[in-house]
Amino acid sequence: MATRTQSTRANHKWGMVIDLDRCTGCQACVIACQSENNIPLNDQTAFLDGRAIEWIRVERYWEGDYPDIKARFLPVLCQHCDNAPCESVCPVYATYHNNEGLNVQVYNRCVGTRFCGNNCPYHARLFNYWEPVWPEDLRNQLNPDVTVRTRGIMEKCTFCIQRIRRSTRGGKQVEDQAFNPACVQACPTDAMTFGDLNNPDSRVSHKWEDERAFRVLEALGTNPSVKYLKQVDAHA
Amino acid sequence: MALTRRQFLKWAGVTGIGAVVFNGCRVPDHEIQVQSPVEMPEDLVTGRDNYYATAAQLGLASEGLLVRVMEGRAKKIEGNPDHPVNTGKHGIRAEALLQALYHPDRIKHPLLRIAKGGPFRRIDWTEAIERLTAIISDRDPNEVLLATPLLRGRAADVVQAFADGSRIRLQGFDALGCESVAREALRQLYGQNAQPDFDIAHASYILNFGADFLGTWINPTHYSRGYGEFRQGDGRSRGRLVHVGARYSTTAAAADHWVYATPGSEGLLAMSIAYTMIDEGTADSDAASALTGGHGARALQAFAPERVAARIGVDAHVISELAHELADKKHHPALVIGGGPAAAQANGLFNMLAVYALNALVGSVNRSGGLVFNPEPVSGRVSSASLREWKQTLADMRSGDITAVLVRESDLAYGLPGALDARGALRSVDTIVSFSSFLDETSELADLILPCHTPLEEWGTDEPNPGPGYTTIGFQQPAVNRFHDTLSFGDVLLQTGSQLGLPGLPWENMREAVRSLAQDLHERGRGSVVQPTFAEFWKRTLERGGWWDTGATADGSRPDLPELARSAPAVSSADPSRYPLHLVPFEGIGVGAGQYAHLPWAQSAPDPITSAAWDTWVELNPHTADEMGLKNNDIVIVESSTGRTIRVPVYVNPATPPDVAAVPMGQGHRAFTSYAARRGANVLDILEPTEDSETGAFAWGATRVRISGTTRTRVIPKLEGLEPARQLHGEELIFVHKA
Repeated sequence: MATRTQSTRANHKWGMVIDLDRCTGCQACVIACQSENNIPLNDQTAFLDGRAIEWIRVERYWEGDYPDIKARFLPVLCQHCDNAPCESVCPVYATYHNNEGLNVQVYNRCVGTRFCGNNCPYHARLFNYWEPVWPEDLRNQLNPDVTVRTRGIMEKCTFCIQRIRRSTRGGKQVEDQAFNPACVQACPTDAMTFGDLNNPDSRVSHKWEDERAFRVLEALGTNPSVKYLKQVDAHA
Repeated sequence: MALTRRQFLKWAGVTGIGAVVFNGCRVPDHEIQVQSPVEMPEDLVTGRDNYYATAAQLGLASEGLLVRVMEGRAKKIEGNPDHPVNTGKHGIRAEALLQALYHPDRIKHPLLRIAKGGPFRRIDWTEAIERLTAIISDRDPNEVLLATPLLRGRAADVVQAFADGSRIRLQGFDALGCESVAREALRQLYGQNAQPDFDIAHASYILNFGADFLGTWINPTHYSRGYGEFRQGDGRSRGRLVHVGARYSTTAAAADHWVYATPGSEGLLAMSIAYTMIDEGTADSDAASALTGGHGARALQAFAPERVAARIGVDAHVISELAHELADKKHHPALVIGGGPAAAQANGLFNMLAVYALNALVGSVNRSGGLVFNPEPVSGRVSSASLREWKQTLADMRSGDITAVLVRESDLAYGLPGALDARGALRSVDTIVSFSSFLDETSELADLILPCHTPLEEWGTDEPNPGPGYTTIGFQQPAVNRFHDTLSFGDVLLQTGSQLGLPGLPWENMREAVRSLAQDLHERGRGSVVQPTFAEFWKRTLERGGWWDTGATADGSRPDLPELARSAPAVSSADPSRYPLHLVPFEGIGVGAGQYAHLPWAQSAPDPITSAAWDTWVELNPHTADEMGLKNNDIVIVESSTGRTIRVPVYVNPATPPDVAAVPMGQGHRAFTSYAARRGANVLDILEPTEDSETGAFAWGATRVRISGTTRTRVIPKLEGLEPARQLHGEELIFVHKA
């Protein structure tokens, strides 16, 4: 099985482009991700302790002062770096780079050293300090495709690998935009584009080459699989 | 070895018994699923999932949805790509419908209060309907009030028919109700009863007064669809957005230019822009003539920029520049939008008339990139009653003219201004019946609770208002079977109507009501689903999640434009020397005005501007906070001229104007599930019960407050750290393209 899987999946290189000129910071991606990926409920204490788990979060940065002030939004998720600083420090190989460009987390291997979280410059990796708990009825909503992570391990965005697997299972050829991660699926302004960078005709490949494209903290050389398109500043 | 007959029979017996015994002990076949590893990747989930198309009414918003159902349980909600309003996308509140369905604090069966103030006991639905029937039949119909949220589609038809047949009072409740002011302005200006669509995707320039249409106003998902194209749509130049508003909202953050105008002066600003355009001859001449009664700019000279600039708080040259930008043909089509706090003022109708008249002056009425009229709805609508009507209703409760209140998801005790003491009025009523699935403040006062389905469990239709410019009907079907012993609200009314022998309710249940509408649509033989047989039409319509007809557009004709007012109405407010700050309440991105506060995802969605969640805070300008000796997390007392107060922590927001105190709505519930109760403060409680002078709508943006410090602090739960995050000059995280 492994041989067949590798030969079919190696054709893909998954990537994402986020257009900051379309993003309004509306949080639809954040909640869609939490629903899809069985992320524990972030209660008030989680925010107060700085322990809220959001595989994708929307950061807001101020520029200027009132009245010439501007808030800029930056959705941050695992950048699936080709030179991922998190991978090289994991003592148990719980995180590695697969042949489709994904930075993968194997929950069963993770022993919770948190080295990867320390080494991630994007703060995209989150540690489960507590056992995730849902009230009995709410458990009915949990996505059967996604493992519920136990206490003591790291977790992070997977580009909704369960959707990738479902769509490409058995070497199935998949058309561009046939599926999307939950955040991209929800984004009301179409700010997020996901797809196969190995497909030169894919929408994400076109946007990858856009003149507004940049990577966050590019100087670190992590070579992320996520690019952002600059917000356009017209004269005020 | 020789085998004797006796030995043979003994062994045969033991073997047979053993076979039976061990067969009985083994795990039944259906519990063992041995699969070849070749066919069982590590992530394969056994079971079969189905996707059901449905529709949901989320307050003023409409979204067509696809629900993933597995093993009889709803797992995920996503937008229906076919639905013309949200075209495959969805917002926080739609996603959180899953949590409404599986909420641990749902009321699971009908409840009857044993005695006033006593505990509830469980009853069955037969008894519940009988009791409801008796409550209505034992009274003069005029003594019975049915309060519902805004309703559209088949649910509105059933509710209206029930009210008509029983002759009870029917009032729609929306805590803010501000859409009614803009709607009245559009009716007076353009003769439209249905809310027009804003063709944001094809506009080149948008001037927006107050409406946070990308965050919380009417239908943010729909407007955001257009906004993405407005900014970076293929084959078009980037649109320009100017936002006028008192709070730096999601829409203000998205804008190219944010203008702070004194709350309540938005109409003055719009009139001043209109004056400038007409005076400079850049406005549509026919519209200018009609709006000024043929007198031209002279009629509006009271609004010349230099005359009104000080009252608006915006320099005269900025007003002129806005007029020039709006009139500039290279920016056309231009679109002017208004609503939210700009409409929720004592002069709200004046503001909205002035704002929406600008569309006529730039030739953007009923055209691509401008206001696009919608046809009259196929089904009925229950709109929100004005604050003036609610005041009368509360007085009728106190005087004994209303003795029974039937309330469906309308939390009067929470949502009406505290100065009106809705709780006290409700207490004076003999009987309260709640149809809520959750024990909110009003339901806590109820004598009888008939819990109804959540949207994923029931039949219905939803006609978006605004629609996309043509007739659109989303079909709502149960994606899952009912999770508790609940009934559809429509079914409760139909069963009760049957017991009461009411005329005008020909349907046995909501499914039949929806099918009868579908039959009408089928007979039209046009639209998105056309099938020879009704059976096939029904199936296809449910599969697609609705029916829409791009050819069924609004009648293009419209009455002549009315003449605009030549002077601004006088508005009184609390003494600014005693109450120096404008209170700007704003809807929470998830919890809205409190109606979604019971849903954990709605609570935990951080406010985009502050990143705060689960709480209430007051946003103050850094200089204002400094002058008052306040810093982040200091608890202050916010007191309005009603004398009512809330205690909330301070968030020093660098984008808050100096004379503004902005407070999010949605918290401060006494009840409404464990996720909402005793959390934050209810800013609606301290609002002055001011009305728009003409429509009587709630002027919830017209309250002034003063703030005093305390010695206490409370850390605001939020995503960002202790200090507001800023871009570091020279080491930007976010790069910007200078156009």
